[in-house]
Amino acid sequence: MNNKQNENMIVGEGVRFERIRRITGYLVGTMDRFNNAKRAEVSERIKHQTSCSR
Amino acid sequence: MVAFIRKRDSRVAPFDVNKIAQAIFKSAESQGGNDFAQSMQIAEKVREELEGTFVEEVPNVEQVQDMVEKTLIKAGHDRTAKAYILYREQRTRVRERNTRLMTTMRDLTFQDASENDLKRENANIDGDTPMGTMLKYGSEASKQFYEMYLLNEKHSLAHKEGDIHIHDLDFFSLTTTCCQIDIQKLFKNGFNTGHGFIREPNSIQSYAALTCIAIQSNQNDQHGGQSIPGFEFGLARGVAKTFISKLFLVLDILDIDRTESVRIDLRSYLETYGSILNEAGQAEVRRILGRTIGPEKVHSIIEKALKYTERDTYQAMEGFVHNMNTMHSRAGAQIPFSSINYGTDTSPEGRMVTRNILLATESGLGNGETPIFPIHIFKVKEGINFNPGDPNYDLFKLACRVSAKRLFPNFSFLDAPFNHAYYREGRPETETAYMGCRTRVVANANDPTREIVTGRGNLSFTSINLPRLGLSAAGDIPSFFSELERRIDLVCGQLLERLEIQGARKCRNYPFLMGQGLWLDSDTLGPDDEVREVLRHGTLTIGFIGLAECLKALVGTHHGESEEARKLGLEIIGFMRRKADEKAAETRLNFSVIATPAEGLAGRFVRMDRERFGSIPGITDREYYTNSFHLPVSFPVSAFNKIRLEAPYHEMTNGGHITYVEVDGDPSNNLEAFEDIIRAMKEMGIGYGSINHPVDRDPVCGYTGIIGDVCPRCGRRDGEGVPMEKLRNIKGYVHDHRSMEEQLEERDKTANIAL
Repeated sequence: MNNKQNENMIVGEGVRFERIRRITGYLVGTMDRFNNAKRAEVSERIKHQTSCSR
Repeated sequence: MVAFIRKRDSRVAPFDVNKIAQAIFKSAESQGGNDFAQSMQIAEKVREELEGTFVEEVPNVEQVQDMVEKTLIKAGHDRTAKAYILYREQRTRVRERNTRLMTTMRDLTFQDASENDLKRENANIDGDTPMGTMLKYGSEASKQFYEMYLLNEKHSLAHKEGDIHIHDLDFFSLTTTCCQIDIQKLFKNGFNTGHGFIREPNSIQSYAALTCIAIQSNQNDQHGGQSIPGFEFGLARGVAKTFISKLFLVLDILDIDRTESVRIDLRSYLETYGSILNEAGQAEVRRILGRTIGPEKVHSIIEKALKYTERDTYQAMEGFVHNMNTMHSRAGAQIPFSSINYGTDTSPEGRMVTRNILLATESGLGNGETPIFPIHIFKVKEGINFNPGDPNYDLFKLACRVSAKRLFPNFSFLDAPFNHAYYREGRPETETAYMGCRTRVVANANDPTREIVTGRGNLSFTSINLPRLGLSAAGDIPSFFSELERRIDLVCGQLLERLEIQGARKCRNYPFLMGQGLWLDSDTLGPDDEVREVLRHGTLTIGFIGLAECLKALVGTHHGESEEARKLGLEIIGFMRRKADEKAAETRLNFSVIATPAEGLAGRFVRMDRERFGSIPGITDREYYTNSFHLPVSFPVSAFNKIRLEAPYHEMTNGGHITYVEVDGDPSNNLEAFEDIIRAMKEMGIGYGSINHPVDRDPVCGYTGIIGDVCPRCGRRDGEGVPMEKLRNIKGYVHDHRSMEEQLEERDKTANIAL
């Protein structure tokens, strides 16, 4: 394979982003391993504001 | 006369001779027979035979079937008898195949983790691998075995129906949860992993590698996690030993004459005083070297040795983190669930360990990935690291920076009154440590002279379904409390029964935990001694889940929503704590209350309660119950209010607790705000806390940070390809994007396990 072809090559197809989240207390590199209940919990977590209303 | 028959599920039913006749007729039919009257005759004969055999006893199904076989053979109906036996065998297999266990095994075998929730019960185990599936077979089979054979019926029923949850039921009769390992004690004079003897280590790299081995070995003797309570205190001596070696390396390179007596002098100084990098130690080094070398030369030799020591320490810590994320335990199905506590050792050696474990974690794994293990806990203490001017304040700042990028370390607060109560200056084993998701073990009802963290851990814990109690009380608060009391009594009884079984195990059942003396006082046991007495140093813990939903059920609001609920919430958990304290005083066992870290349980309780009570808004309408005393994750509240509202529960939950704050965006860009939150936790009486923020990574271009739908660096969407040309034009993209110096370091690194 010459350089030209190499440059046109597409890489990373099918490679998923890693999303590290904390589950109960430890980290998990991918949410694929979370059980259904914990997946639902993560998706419903909302952020806590730090600037307003002490 | 035979009037009854005992069925397979042990219920008694009226005896019906027609059923026997039908079974015989079916067997005869399969062999070409068609005479029902004859089948009926044989059935009558069976009844007669049974009446002769079972005078007072009620025959069971198997005994009746045996009699049918015998009668058929006796009457000369050999072919029908054979058909009957075959039919019976087929029925048995169908029945066995349909038992719960076999159905579970089938699902574990043929379903992927993506479609089988059971395989994702613990996110630390990949249920699709051979060893992961094998572990699940064992786990599911033993759970069903204990439910059917070992558990007291009362406890088994309460567990099955979801009133309580007996955690780690699969290990019910086998072992205890976790241990806080004193590596200093373990390394002294070496130890045995059960597969070979290991000498006392002589360099920081060996200290770090052996710490991994200790965690890994002990993980196999218990069902929970492993923790090192004073990580840098334990490894500090390795740094000092490496410094002495480096000193000699420099002398050797410079071809300076040296005698073995110098090494012996330095080692014996270290043995006596414990530190060689502190001022007194350095003065001693200068004095000893000064006997033959001029002062200027001595200075440069020491500087060089220090530089090499720092570098080796970094590499040792890097190796430690890599090992903790790659070495397997438990039949290879998972990496050890490890925790390390550090931050308070002010000796130069200890500081070097803390600094470098933080820096190595900040750098990440081989391609810059965020390390998953160990869980890091930075111990915050006024006068040591909390304020400018404190000797380890720089390390606290560094800990904040690393946590803002890597989610670890978490922060524990030694000044919280309930932690401070155990603190004795100069005795690191009295500094409260946390392990795993939140477990805390420090008080000691069994031996109040030894309120220390080392050599101790949790024995077992069982959680109470609080929303169920709230819903059942239907607003009647006094009746809620009396039911809660009964449930606590039930849990205490169950924990004691389990301790009885655990206590009957022998020292040799735990070759590392007990055999190597890791557990407090286990060094007094012989191989065949029961572990009963020494287990008393551990904790028996009553957990709870869903305080928020429970309050909703009782008063219509949770503790984030109304003053009434806030007060009642504290009364409920305060009540649980009082009951645990009473039980501890009565038994001199460490009964305590834990804010349960529900993982598999989060969904289990709510599913059962929805079936029972229907879908009730704010209570059973979600897929999970809220963790312990936490405010619901979907409830909008400021970080500071969340901390303020959850802090009082930390004091009550002496068996373990944690508070999380969820932060938007990348906190690395605002370290001041990050530190403010940690400081607020300390000021408001939190025992243990951490900040959650999204950490995403694109493995294709190596970007780490927040990724929405599109990677901010290479512009691809999840799963999309990207042209090589585009990647090459991105600044920083080389498959290895570390600095040249780091790459060289990596090249120099020797295998972590080789000693």
